[in-house]
This record gives sequence, C-alpha cells and structure tokens, in this order.
Amino acid sequence: MRDQLEQLKSSAMQAIAAAPSVEALQDIRINLLGRKGELTALMKGLGSLDATERPVVGQLVNSVRDEIESALGSALASAQEQVIAARLQTERIDTSLPGRRAQKGTKHPVSLVIEEICSIFAGLGFSVAEGPEIEHDWYNFEALNFPPEHPARDMQDTFFVENSLLLRTHTSPVQIRTMLKQKPPVRIIAPGTVYRCDSDATHSPMFHQIEGLMVDSTVTFGDLKGILTVFTNQLFGQKTGVRLRPSYFPFTEPSAEVDIACVICGGKGCRVCKNSGWLEILGAGMVDPEVYRHVQYDAENISGFAFGMGIERIAMLKYGISDMRLLFENDVRFLRQF
Amino acid sequence: MIVTYNWLKEFVDFDTNPDELAALLTMLGLEVESMEKLGDGLDDVVVALVEEKRQHPNADKLSLCRVNNGKEVLDVVCGAQNFIQGDTVALAQIGATLPGDFKIKRSKIRGEESCGMLCSDKELGLAEDSAGIIVLSPGIAPLGTPVFRALGLKDTIFEIGLTPNRSDCLSLVGIARDIAAKLDVKIKYPPVTLTEGPENTNSVIGVTIRDPELCPRYAARYISGCTIAPSPQWLVKRLAALGIRSINNVVDVTNLIMMELGQPLHAFDCDRLSGKRIVVRAAVDGENFTTLDNQNRVLTASDLVICDAERPVALAGVMGGLNSEIENSTTSILLESAFFKPAAIRKTAKRHGLHTESSHRFERGIDIDGVVRALDRAASLIVALAGGVLAKGAIDEYPGKSERTPIMFRPEKANELIGINLDRDVIIDILTRLECQVTQHEDGTTGVLPPSYRIDIEREIDLIEEIARLNGYDKIPATMPVARVVSDRPTRHQEIEKQLRDILVNCGMTEIINFSFTAPDAAGKLLLNDDDPRRSAIKLANPLVDEQSVMKTTLLPGLLETTARNINFRSLDLKLFEMRRVYLPVDGADMPREPLCIVGAVTGSRDGDAWSRPNEQADFYDVKGIVESVLDYLDIGGVTWVAENLDPYYHPGKSCRIFAGREYIGSVGELHPSVQKNFEIEKPVFCFELDFEKLVKLSRTRKTIAAPSRFPDSSRDIAMLVPEGLAAVKITDCIKSVKSKEIEHVQIFDVYRGKGVPDGFKSIAVRIRYRSVERTLSEEEIVALHKEIVTNLVDKLQVTLR
Repeated sequence: MRDQLEQLKSSAMQAIAAAPSVEALQDIRINLLGRKGELTALMKGLGSLDATERPVVGQLVNSVRDEIESALGSALASAQEQVIAARLQTERIDTSLPGRRAQKGTKHPVSLVIEEICSIFAGLGFSVAEGPEIEHDWYNFEALNFPPEHPARDMQDTFFVENSLLLRTHTSPVQIRTMLKQKPPVRIIAPGTVYRCDSDATHSPMFHQIEGLMVDSTVTFGDLKGILTVFTNQLFGQKTGVRLRPSYFPFTEPSAEVDIACVICGGKGCRVCKNSGWLEILGAGMVDPEVYRHVQYDAENISGFAFGMGIERIAMLKYGISDMRLLFENDVRFLRQF
Repeated sequence: MIVTYNWLKEFVDFDTNPDELAALLTMLGLEVESMEKLGDGLDDVVVALVEEKRQHPNADKLSLCRVNNGKEVLDVVCGAQNFIQGDTVALAQIGATLPGDFKIKRSKIRGEESCGMLCSDKELGLAEDSAGIIVLSPGIAPLGTPVFRALGLKDTIFEIGLTPNRSDCLSLVGIARDIAAKLDVKIKYPPVTLTEGPENTNSVIGVTIRDPELCPRYAARYISGCTIAPSPQWLVKRLAALGIRSINNVVDVTNLIMMELGQPLHAFDCDRLSGKRIVVRAAVDGENFTTLDNQNRVLTASDLVICDAERPVALAGVMGGLNSEIENSTTSILLESAFFKPAAIRKTAKRHGLHTESSHRFERGIDIDGVVRALDRAASLIVALAGGVLAKGAIDEYPGKSERTPIMFRPEKANELIGINLDRDVIIDILTRLECQVTQHEDGTTGVLPPSYRIDIEREIDLIEEIARLNGYDKIPATMPVARVVSDRPTRHQEIEKQLRDILVNCGMTEIINFSFTAPDAAGKLLLNDDDPRRSAIKLANPLVDEQSVMKTTLLPGLLETTARNINFRSLDLKLFEMRRVYLPVDGADMPREPLCIVGAVTGSRDGDAWSRPNEQADFYDVKGIVESVLDYLDIGGVTWVAENLDPYYHPGKSCRIFAGREYIGSVGELHPSVQKNFEIEKPVFCFELDFEKLVKLSRTRKTIAAPSRFPDSSRDIAMLVPEGLAAVKITDCIKSVKSKEIEHVQIFDVYRGKGVPDGFKSIAVRIRYRSVERTLSEEEIVALHKEIVTNLVDKLQVTLR
C-alpha cells in the first residue's frame, strides 16, 4: 500500500509537470482525485487495513493527496496565467474606431439661454411666470402706460389680430397679469415669445424676451443696478462691466438702458460694439406709478423695478453668432453645435 | 436728430472733445448712435499754391503742376481745367486717405511723376458732385494748413437716437440746454434783432382760429419786398450737415430755425393767399388738396387745415400746399409759427402716410411758449438774407392759453426711490439748472414748475427721474434689495416642460424653433379634412408675408418643412423635435387657447451609418421608443397603442393613436406617402405628436418603490406561431392575465418571419422570468405556472407552439 502510494505520487508529479494545458491538468485531477480516481480508490481501500496500520497509512494518503493537490493547484495557476498571457499576445482591436454611443441631441440655443437665465434668477429668489402670446391691447399697451395714439407705440411695430387682440410685442404684459393676480411682494421673471412686424438681418418677426419684475416695500433704483450687476456677472463672467444710462419706456421711470462691456473686445472697441466698447443688452427701470394704478397697487407704499431683455441678442453674444436668422433656420449643422 | 459739435458750441461753452461729448450725451439719455468726424484723417490734405502749370507732354487733357505745400515744391499731375497758375488749391499729399478708402501714392501718369493729387469737393466728400478741383480764396490760410481746418469744416456730426419723451431735444438748442444743465453753465440762446417797418402786420394779414382745441396758438408775421434767391454757402452747408437739401433763402431759414429751436415754421407766398387771410379749421370730408410733394390728398373732417379766405393752403403741421408755396417770383411772405395738438397731427400724418420733420415735432409736442420767439428769429433772418420789410408786430392768436400748476415735490422721495442721499440743496440746484422754477413753501413743501418745453415732466416721478439723470446714473451705488422671502417653486408645467426637453435631447433629438405663424394652406398639405378644427386658424390683420399670415394650429408642417430643408442640405439622418405653443380659437371666448405641443420626426439611418451597425434605417419602432421613454420618464401608466381613427397625414398601416386609460395623449407613426410628397421628402419620415397638457395631467408625482427580491429567478421561453394579424400586445396581455405575483417580467425577444414559418404567420418568442419576493420557487411551482400560461395562450389565442 505504501509502495503503491509512493508510486502513485511520483507518476502523478511527473504527469503534472508534463501536462501541456489547463485541460490536461483538469483531466489529471479527475483521474486521481475524482470520484472514480486512483487515489480515491486507494482511500476506499483503507477500510480493509487493520486498526493499527490504518491511521498511519491514512495519514500518508492524506499527505500524498495534499501534495498532489498543491502541485496541481500551482500548475493550474501557472497554466492559466500562460493562457491569459497568450490571449493578451494575440487579442488586438482598433481603438481608433468610433465608439458605439447614443446620438447626441441638443437644445435650441434660445432654450439654453432661457434655462440659464431662469436658473440665475431662481438663485436670486425669482420664480417663473407666463402669459398668453395673443394678448389684449390693454395688457400689452394701455396698462403699461401706452395710451392709444401715443408716439411710444411706434417703438413697437405690432401684429394685429382682431377685436383689440394682438401678438404681444414684449413680455411686459406678464407684469400686469402677475400684479393683478397677487399682492406684493412680487419677484418674477417671465420668459416668452414676442412678435414685431419687422424683418432683416438684426430683426426677426418672432423673437424671445425675458421680463423681470420685483415689487416690495423699499426697492430702489440702486437695487435694480445691484441685481442686474449680479446677473450680468453670472451670465457673462465675473468682471463684466455694467453701465446704466437714461432711457425711456412708458412703463418705467426712471428708465435705463443697460450696457455691458463688449464681450468680444473687452471694451476696447470693435465692429460688434460699433467701437463704443459697450453692448446694449437690456432695458429696465423703476415701475411707473401709472402701472401701479392700473393694477390697483398703492404707489405711495411700495416700489419696484422691471427689466426686459432679448434672448436672441444674448445668445448671439454668448455664442458669437453674427446673423439672427441662423437661429430660426433650424439647420442641424448649426443646432448640433450647441 | 442730427447735431454738430461746432454748432452746439455756438449755444453752450464747453471744452469737452467730441468723444467726451458723445459719452456725456449718451449718459444724459441722448444716445449718440453714430459719430462722423468731418475732415478726420484728412490732415494730409493741405492748402497749397500752384506755382507753375504747364501742358503734360504726353496727354492733351492733363497738366503738370509745381505745387508748394509750404515746406517743399512737388510735381503733381492734374486733369482738371478750372484753375490757373497762382491759384490756391487743396493738395492731397502722399499718404493721405480720401473718403472711399482712396489712398494717395506716388505714381507715374503717362510717364510723368505725380507726388499727390489736387482735390475736388467730391473727392473730399464735401459734395455729391463737382465740376473741377477746389480753388480756395488766396491767402485763406498759411500753405500746409489742413484744408478742413482752413475752411472751418472740421466738425463732428452726431446722430442722436431720441426717445419719444424728449421732444424738447428735437432741436440744437434743446440738446445744448441739456449739456448746459449737466455742465452747470448758462445757455446762450440765439439772438433775435428785429427791425420793423412802419406798416402794421394786422392791417395787412389776418388770422382766425376756428378750432382752438386743435390749434391753441397761431402766430404770424408779414414780410414784403423780399427777393427769393439761393441761400448763402454757410446756410447750405449747415443744412447739408443735417441732411436737409437747400431750396431757397426763405424756405432754408424756416428749416434752419426748426432745427435750431424745434419750432416748425411755414412760409406762404402771401400774394397767393386769397384775402391775405389765414383761417385754421377742420377739413371737410372729401375735400381735395395738393400738398407740396404734388400729391392730391382727400381730406377728412379730422384733418386740420390752414386755409386762406377760400381754400386750404396747408395740411396743418404736416406739409404746405402747392398753391401757396414760395416761388422764385415771390416777394411777400406770410410766416407761420403755431402749436397744433399732437394727437391730431399724428392721426393726420399717419392717415396720409406723410411723415415730415414738421409732423414729427408737432406729434411729439413742441414748446408752446417758444412759438413767437421762433417766429421773430426766423423773420429777422429772412430779412437779413432776402431783404424786404418786416411789418410791425406779430399776430399772436392764443386761445388755448392756460396757467400751468407747479408739481408737488419731495426731495427725500427722490433719494428714497433712487437709492442715493443728496442734500436738498443739491437736488433743488439740479432742478434749477433744468430751468425749473422751484418754490419752497412755508409748510415745508416744494413746488416745481418745469419749463414749458419739457412737456414730458408732469409728475413728481418725472422730476425724480431728472434728478437721477442729471446727477448721473453712474453715481448710483449698486445695492442688493432688502426683500421679504417669497416661497415659490416651479409649477408642475414648468418642471415637466424642462424635463421633457431633457429627455428628448437624451434620446438624441435636436430641438428646433420655427415661427409661430405659417401659410394659410399649411393644413392642406397635411390632407386634413375640410371640417378639421386645425383648419380654422387665427389670422393676422397685417402679416409681413402670406407665408407668415396665420397662427399655427399644428406644429407638424413646420417640422416637416425643417426636415425637408435639412435633407436638401444633405443632412440625411435627422431626429428633430419642437416644443411650442399652438393657437386655437375657442368658440364664445375672446381669447384663444395656447396649448403647448410636442412633435418629433425621425428619418434616415438609425445611427448615422455607424460602422458598427451599418445600413440600419430608422423605423416606426425608433420613434415609438422615444415616445415610450417620455411616458416612462413621466411615469404615465395604462398606455395603449390603438391603430384606429388615425389622422389623415399618417400611413394607415404603420401608425397608431396613444391613450393613457381613456385619455388621448398623442399619436405616432409613419408619415403618409402623399404628405411626404407634399413636403418634398424622399425617404420615409416617422413622427409623433404629444399633448403636453395631458402629459402633465397624467404624469405621476408620487412613485411607490418596491424592494428587490433576494431570491433566485428562473426564466422560461415560449416560441409560438401566430397569425400575422395578431398584435403582439395580445400575447403579453394574455400572459399577464394569469394573475400571479411570481411573474416578474415578460419580454418579447424575437419576432421572426421566413424559413420554417408559413406565409401569413409570424414566429414570436417570449421570455418569462419567474421570481418570488418571499421564497425560492420550487421547480414544480414554476412548471405549473408556466403550463397554465402556455395553455392559456393556446386556448385563448390559438397560438401554435414551436
């Protein structure tokens, strides 16, 4: 029995050393240690030995089995390593071929700018309000202190519908609708589509604006300047210079045009800013008492500001687009760049 | 409004240079939109003397000149004939750049060297046309002086974009007044020196105002014995700088004074006025009148006309009449200076499509107190230029005279609203500089009477704006508001709108934005029935073009036009969506509905012809998949896809309507081949339409989340032959009808037609995954459950197992 064991061990060791592959090693394991394996058969024979010899031979069987197992284990491990090494030697792909991916979609630049501006103002506590695009003359003009036949109406070429309905020429009627619905404090921005009958390289008959309105008990013109400075710095970069200069809108007083230092030339003067170093980006002012009268607010005890800006103009500045018409041609070669 | 630097300097002393002045004006709210520096960059065009002039040896029409520029004598070849040796001329030296980017270089002309060019008015941009070179008066300036300086033409022209409230600045004096107020200097009003003859004006002419409401003031003067002639050069050039063409000395004076003082004036040939009378009255409906531009105008009762004793002679405030205009033979003049009601002039100008410098000023409102001053200034200048005798006294009919009341003003209110802290004295000083009369009352209140020309200042807030403006917007500190907390968050609509845009973009779609208006026949291209509500669109009363004349009732035509246009540009693989409003009239309501709609289109190859998946063309299931993603994202359940009652623009066999429960939420399908052709698209297009309002309504805000099972799963496949017409959903529905908590997932993983499948049949393979959340399922349980399902399929749907 001992001889048998020794013999088995040495032939096993030889076979393991000579085994050419993982599969051959696995065969050896089955042949020796499997249910019908040689060593298993020997172990089954232990029962026929007498009681004194049994523990000794048993120990020997176990140690032979352990040795074979350990030899098999390390031979298998190195054979597997060789297999991997061989795979790594031969397997090659062309990593320069494009990846398999979902196609990229894009939002329209007008949507992108609206989302960005809304999120800046959300951070300043402004919520979003909306209103109809086919609007009453009263909301679009009269309540905003554009009396009928007023020359200021010439500032906005209007598309008319019928029955004193028109396509809103600005997002300002949302101010009126909001103030009629709620009491101060009011803090809203209103993005939306507006229309003017005008069409050339810098005018589109349809375009987009964002209106802002803040009314509270002690809001000042200085606050307007503060809010707009924060806003323009967030939109165009921390050091963007901001300039307010006097202007006129029927629904604000004092009124201002707001310029930023030219984002193209940094204020030195270029074609985009017509050499002025400044770019006009929005109109603003303190809400005119006449507007408060139309929405039954008490002008003596509240104050507020309003502002409005053209989205297309901001998109053009942000992305360096020179012709507004590109924004509405919907050429995917243009849109997919955003 | 155009003003020039030199001219402004006549009215106000300032030493700011043109660039600084432009900045100052802009910061006063008088925005300088453009600036033209006359003679700028033309310093190399200098006064020079022609010392010698002889014939060019090789050209009959050219001469060779020796020209002295004060430093050296240069050879110059010249083609002009209108000068002689000894003349003083304008020499453009080498290096000069003339208007039109014309660079002067050393050159050889027919073999002779030329070191410069003798210039004409045209070449220097001084005239539209010129017959020869400029010949300057001898000794006009030392040789070598820049010609523009020598001629006193060095000037800067500012074009100011005025806001409609600042009618007072529609004049040189108006703008000068604002500069003076800002710089705190006195304005010098133009002088009026009247020399009157013995004859009394009102013994020659008469004025009657029949409509004092529309004409509250009318002043006139009479000049006899004058001579109509061309205006002197200074006047011609001054008007030219403002873009006004010279006519004759009298008309030019009226225009000059209008630009100077803002008061439109009109000069009538008094001999052609019947009865030498002026009657201001409303026109009679249907009355005919020929304006100066030789147009016949049919008047209405709301037009105000200036008449003589018999007939209209001017459309008040807008344009004079051909029948009384100043002609070369005119010797006596009736000069009008009046105030007309702005709204009336505006209506008349608009109705007749006649927008003039005069109507522009009247409709914005002029200075009613300045009427006579302008009249006198013009009369004195006419006499100076055209001679004649000015009759004694002005006629001044002023039925509309009224007392103006001061505005109650609180300086502290100005500080509060602007967010500054100016002393009361500083504030009062600003108002005084603006020519306001400030009265401090004993009770501490302040009354402010603005000057008559500032018709825009009516309320305390208007004064507050003036304080902010004159003090300077740049001096207002930027602060953050002290505000009450407003608790708000985006509405459900706003949130879902943003989410939808995100999910569609994540599906690889590109967002487009088309105009909200379209052509009236857009619905026709979609083959919509005649009674389809989408055919009744809201029409614009004044569209720019017919293709943009009705408001959209559906976004599809725009989407398909965009698809076609992109394909024309060889962008063949498209996934487009648009999320915009449509405009639907509502019976009985005055306002239309403006629901948000979502449409999408997919065409071309699925992955843009990727090497890894070549030639896979997008189909119905791509666009359905996008819709499923949207519905899944919004957690809209109970969705059914019903291939019935389709819109006519869909392929009837490859489209369906989408319901969530009983609610119709949209449609998806392949475009009808005829519609595809109508939009000139060659390949199939797959579209969807979704009703945003319904999506918002049906989307679930609260989800209940189940913990995943920790027990093993077991999957079983069923392959079956079914008739072609059997919808796959019937199979999955049938499987799910076996109500068992242990059916975790049912998936169709193969649909096969071809070898081994008889015609009219398809093979469908389904994988069912069984799993319990409570325990490990035994083999027997799974077999029993699976058997029940298979039996069900065979019994209820008559499928054949493969």
